[in-house]
Amino acid sequence: MIGKEFIGRESESVVLKIRFEEVRRFAEAIGIPFEGEVPTTYVGTLLKANIPGFELTTPGMIHGEQKITYHRPLAVGDSITYKRRIQDVYERTSKLGKIIFVVLETSGYDLTGELVFSSSSTIITPAKGDDNEERV
Amino acid sequence: MKSVFNYQVSDRLPFREWVPSHVQIRQYAEASGDFNPIHLNDNYARKVGLGGVIAHGMLTMAQMAALLTEWIGNEGRISKLDVRFEQVVSPGDKITFSGSIKARSEKVIVCDIEACNHKGDKVLLGLAHIMQK
Repeated sequence: MIGKEFIGRESESVVLKIRFEEVRRFAEAIGIPFEGEVPTTYVGTLLKANIPGFELTTPGMIHGEQKITYHRPLAVGDSITYKRRIQDVYERTSKLGKIIFVVLETSGYDLTGELVFSSSSTIITPAKGDDNEERV
Repeated sequence: MKSVFNYQVSDRLPFREWVPSHVQIRQYAEASGDFNPIHLNDNYARKVGLGGVIAHGMLTMAQMAALLTEWIGNEGRISKLDVRFEQVVSPGDKITFSGSIKARSEKVIVCDIEACNHKGDKVLLGLAHIMQK
């Protein structure tokens, strides 16, 4: 189970080229006309940088918040490196029992090391031992 | 048409309506690589208490971004987009996105955005920064 000890854990850096065809498919899936621009939420698909010991799809997990900041525009053809980091882990008690909040930060850099974007996801998951987990 | 940078504080943005379908959710799973079964498998989604598959939060957020990019055209770009997912969005829900100008300077417009379903529940609350190109 994820706990405070995960804070600061990082993935390896992943190198990625923003490819026309993948962006086009993404634009088509969200239902917008594609004119060569990278949709703002495209960086939400950069999920390949695995954080050791951390698995995202636990039953009952939901996406609570998402923040994306561009420090400069991202374009098709750009090469970036990105990595993910567990920024925070905290617990709250709700009427449904104990829940855990995980804040996951993704940072993307250009090849000179300049920050291009940062994206932060807050994932909410039931704490283990909850009967929720047993039923699945 | 009024230029985006003529909008003033408290002016309303154009509306956007969106009805997600099972097909679109599957298409989004494939395009994004997010294959969490809560988006694809009705039985599984019911077992975890969601009443059936739900749309990816990121797909709803993408619709919010689409409202903005359609509105700003070539005049600006989104430099910041923050959202909180308030309620799940299911296939067939009729979602309406709306927004207003919260603050602005010469080069930056800050917008408040929200999305409601046909039952009147808020499903998403958001904030965006638009930067002049």
